[in-house]
Amino acid sequence: MIAAVLSGFAVALLAPALAKRLGRGAGAVLALYPAALFFRFLSRVPAVVAGETPSASLPFVPELGISLSFRLDGLALLMALLVTGIGAIVLVYAGTYLEGHPRRGPLLGLLVAFLSAMAGLVLCDDLLALFAFWEATSILSYFLIGFEREEAEARAAALQALLVTGGGGLALLAGFVLLGQAGGTLEVSALAANAEALKAHPLYLPALLLVLAGAFTKSAQVPFHFWLPGAMAAPTPVSAYLHSATMVKAGVFLLARLHPALGGTREWVWVVTSVGAATMLTGALLSVGQRDLKRLLAFSTVSALGSLTMLVGVGTPAALGAAMVFLLAHALYKAALFLVAGILDHEAGTRDATRLGGLLPLLPATGVAAMAAAFSMAGLPPLLGFVSKELLYDAALRASPLPFVLVPVAVGSNMLLVAVALTVGFGPFTGPRGATSKLPHEAPVAMWAGPALLGFGSLAAGVFSGALSPFLSAAASSALGHPYGVRLELWHGFSLVLLKSLVTLVVGVALYRGRHRLRAFAERFAPLGALGPARLWRAGLAGLVSVAKGTAAFLSSGSLRQDVRVVVVAAVALLGPLLLSRGTFGAADALPSVRPIEAVLALLVVAGAVGAVVAGSRLSAVVGLGVTGYGIALLFLVFGAPDLSMTQFAVETLSVLLFVAVLRRLPRLRSRSAPRSRAVDAALAAAVGALMAGLVLAVHAGPLRSRLSGFFAESSLPLAKGRNVVNVILVDFRGLDTLGEITVLAVAALGVLSLVRLRLAAKGTAGAKEGGR
Amino acid sequence: MTFPFPASDLLVILPELVLTQLALGILLWATVVRKGREATLAWVSIASLAAAAVLIPVAARLSGPLPRAAFGGMLTLDRFSIFFKVLVLLATAVTILFSLKFVGTSSYPGGEYYALLLFSAVGMLFMASGTHLVSIYIALELMALSQYVLAGYFKRETKSVEAAAKYFVLGAFSSGVLLYGISLVYGAAGSLDLGDVARSLAATPRSSLLGVGIVLTASGMLFKIASAPFHVWAPDVYEGAPTPISAFFSVGPKLAAYAIFARIFFVGFGPRAGDWAPVLAASAALTMVVGNVGALLQQNVKRMLGYSSIGHAGYALLGLLAYASGTDARGENFGLWAILIYLAAYLLMTLGAFGLVVLLEAKGYATESVDDFNGLSKKNPLAAAAMLVFLLSLAGIPPTAGFVGKYFLFSAAMKAGWPSLALLAVLMSAVSLFYYFRIARAMYLVEGEGELRWREEPAVAAAVAVCVAGTLLLGILPQPFVALAKSCLLP
Repeated sequence: MIAAVLSGFAVALLAPALAKRLGRGAGAVLALYPAALFFRFLSRVPAVVAGETPSASLPFVPELGISLSFRLDGLALLMALLVTGIGAIVLVYAGTYLEGHPRRGPLLGLLVAFLSAMAGLVLCDDLLALFAFWEATSILSYFLIGFEREEAEARAAALQALLVTGGGGLALLAGFVLLGQAGGTLEVSALAANAEALKAHPLYLPALLLVLAGAFTKSAQVPFHFWLPGAMAAPTPVSAYLHSATMVKAGVFLLARLHPALGGTREWVWVVTSVGAATMLTGALLSVGQRDLKRLLAFSTVSALGSLTMLVGVGTPAALGAAMVFLLAHALYKAALFLVAGILDHEAGTRDATRLGGLLPLLPATGVAAMAAAFSMAGLPPLLGFVSKELLYDAALRASPLPFVLVPVAVGSNMLLVAVALTVGFGPFTGPRGATSKLPHEAPVAMWAGPALLGFGSLAAGVFSGALSPFLSAAASSALGHPYGVRLELWHGFSLVLLKSLVTLVVGVALYRGRHRLRAFAERFAPLGALGPARLWRAGLAGLVSVAKGTAAFLSSGSLRQDVRVVVVAAVALLGPLLLSRGTFGAADALPSVRPIEAVLALLVVAGAVGAVVAGSRLSAVVGLGVTGYGIALLFLVFGAPDLSMTQFAVETLSVLLFVAVLRRLPRLRSRSAPRSRAVDAALAAAVGALMAGLVLAVHAGPLRSRLSGFFAESSLPLAKGRNVVNVILVDFRGLDTLGEITVLAVAALGVLSLVRLRLAAKGTAGAKEGGR
Repeated sequence: MTFPFPASDLLVILPELVLTQLALGILLWATVVRKGREATLAWVSIASLAAAAVLIPVAARLSGPLPRAAFGGMLTLDRFSIFFKVLVLLATAVTILFSLKFVGTSSYPGGEYYALLLFSAVGMLFMASGTHLVSIYIALELMALSQYVLAGYFKRETKSVEAAAKYFVLGAFSSGVLLYGISLVYGAAGSLDLGDVARSLAATPRSSLLGVGIVLTASGMLFKIASAPFHVWAPDVYEGAPTPISAFFSVGPKLAAYAIFARIFFVGFGPRAGDWAPVLAASAALTMVVGNVGALLQQNVKRMLGYSSIGHAGYALLGLLAYASGTDARGENFGLWAILIYLAAYLLMTLGAFGLVVLLEAKGYATESVDDFNGLSKKNPLAAAAMLVFLLSLAGIPPTAGFVGKYFLFSAAMKAGWPSLALLAVLMSAVSLFYYFRIARAMYLVEGEGELRWREEPAVAAAVAVCVAGTLLLGILPQPFVALAKSCLLP
């Protein structure tokens, strides 16, 4: 099973070659792969319905107790069948739809790879593997949405979808890590078995919120719903597959999958239910203002995903049963409608619902399929959509929190969706002929067969819904965590639920008849969309970019001076507080008194430093530095370290000479920086000076432990027969070091000599050349 | 005069000794090699590195049971050091492969270049082994001094010289800071041997002077791994230095710096983890934000990779932090383990990405903007796919090495009680998707205009292929490597 699913990635690699060789048939040939998987999964239905859960496991990192495990329970089976079945249909369709497109091969390959990732996602029992497939779907969808790469809109939409879903995926990962920590395992089945302890764990809430963030972004829940309509820039087969049947369902799937482990708490019920209900209503409200068939469908998909989320949030057996039925019903009709929209676009040259009409005689097969799907979406008996809507109302009515809120939301949204369904699947085929740019023909069989099959599926599943009961019960049971039987019936008898269905239909049809006025009304509110989360998102990205600009100018300007400033500020900020903590400097009276000569020398040092800073020319600055250096050397002398002092004198003299030799060649100091920037530098310099002074004082106050000075002081005379400890150290205790230093100096001198000679030689030849001229 | 250490101590540093000799030999040979035949030097350099790598197990076998201390506790040979030595040698060898055409076609002599790389490698090998603050410092300087020269190796290119100057000024500053910190620690602990320092720190009461010493040492380390706020040099240096050298800087020295960072702070300053952990935590947070936000807008790929490597340094700091909080209930310390895995992954993916930058280069200099990747998927699908693997890995997307590394790091941080930092890391990974995918977008969604500048370099292509294979292997079958890393932890 695992191998069969993962081999899709290999099949995907074959797609470009196949497309080149086979032309339009490539889609159909590639479709054999998901079709084979579909029948393979279908053959497992009896076993799964009987309560078996075939599973497999591969060790991944046993040190951490991580293994890759796969499980085929009812929920996984339902999703796997949808993924492979609709995948096969979409591949056949896409092969024809993209006929003549130069990059048809890569697109088919991406679709197959996506199919594999999606199948892997629904089958795995391990959260880490689930995350891997999850991100794979996000990445693949990036390339699928951005497929029409000449269009800037498509590229922007692709990136937006990637950032929202991929970023949400990373939140999911964080949530999984927390879950693993709280539950001690990353296997969903094991987490579910330990649900009570998990829900009581202090990490439960953060883990839950992170997981929900991941699921909500993927399933386009409010306030992350805006990426889905944008993603309609994808080619239509991609929208049909990713944005109706599979990828966007991954979030809902994850919620259902984790419901046994995490669900049922107050936090779960309130957050998930309210977000779902809000999404359901938002999607429905936004959809009626659209003209583009695909955008109509996209917003209605948002609404459908909202109702699925809401049902999983409610979490009662009835609700989860309704969710599973609706999951199936929605996948069937929405994929069909998307494919139909693609056909209309292809044949009539427009997707504008206001310009399409009266096409049934021209596209009979497509029209019939579209109507079947639309009626299912509208909830007309005897289609599956009707059955699922009944169950939805029933579940909403019996929801524990706030049925009086959920029921109006559900009924209201569905009324609007009836109008949308008819606008998309009924309007284009009836009434007067619209003003289309070209005369439409019936699409090729490969294109209408898919919607027809799906539309027929909606009808058959509705009529024979009783036969589906055991299968959907198995799915609901896995989402629920214990066995439960869903009752699917066309006729429930006269009830409140039936009344609601009737009212929904009647009002929905009325809304459809007044759809133009409705749209005009909704379009008047379009400017409000500017206040929506899409704008927030754009503002957030823009903010990030401007933060990036701002920080780049400050934190890495490319200017060395600015860089040094950053480092210096950081050093002062890090060390200053440490030094200022109590007890660093000891008692003030522990400091020795200052002799006049010391004070004079100190003033000399300070004067030299100040002189170097304010000097008007480089040479005078060097002189200032020299004064500082000699002052320090004199200080050493005063404190009884003549050898050190001599060394310092020598070093100072040498460096002044070097400075003069080098600086002589530089131009005069001309421009100075602005006074303000000099003031900043002065403040920084003062801060560093204070810091260093503090450090020296602190060193003086602290107890210094050195074994070495004692050792040298004691051993100097007896071991090395010398009274000058420094000399003894240099020539005796560390004689080898000194030898090494001398060698290094000698080598350096040789190097300098050769450089000087080279330079002289170069000058000589240059002079000779000039002379020759 | 008697040699103060047993001669067998020399066996411990056998690889370093041999590599030093070979590097000197190459330097000498370079004076007589004919112009245009310098590729031979490169291959000999690679052979030298291979010889050093082969000698590591020999040294381990001959010098006695591991861990084997040598030279009075100045150096040690343990599995931890071997882990880093192998990675460092690998990084250096790949850098030389990247440099082949670079140095060969430029008017700069190759011999010094390769010798400097090898000297730098020797420094890094010693860093991995150092257990005494002085030996560590000297090794660090050996590495750094070679690098200052390498950064400015293309001395007639303004950018290269500028990079070298900045690197040198700030690097010297950081060395000074580090040395100052070491001297304060010495003052407080009375020893520079890391084991002695730890014993002494455990016995002495808290003093702010010691705190200052530790923080200064930490600042020096943060500088070397390019962590905020001491990261400022990295983008400029990466952008300006010759591309193979940028690749080298982003892995080799960083790996070695992590080795000494871990060793100094855990073996030496472990008893004072409470003092330095907050500093590292603040730096980690800042580094992740600065690196990832800074990378957002970069048009220059090298500069972008520079910022991204800052971000990665921030992630890796999480591992150090996790390590600081001690062993978990199972007696395992997750943090260092995670760092080892992460650094190996980082090495593979960063070198791979830089390899593609090398392959895409025309004039041999920093002209590589993101737009240079436009339409790569059409012109060279394999190269585009390889780059995509590296980008996914850098962003931490499965099934790649980068994901495994990040997963380990983030879980380590969460386990160790830094969940807020782990969450920040996740958030910043999401931000990083944005800029990594700018390259993916250029490769796949944008049509290239004009000719793609593409260099046929089988050696580089082979190195990139190895990186791809490693990145995927580590991502799909991490188990053997994870077990290996576990056996290479510090005691």
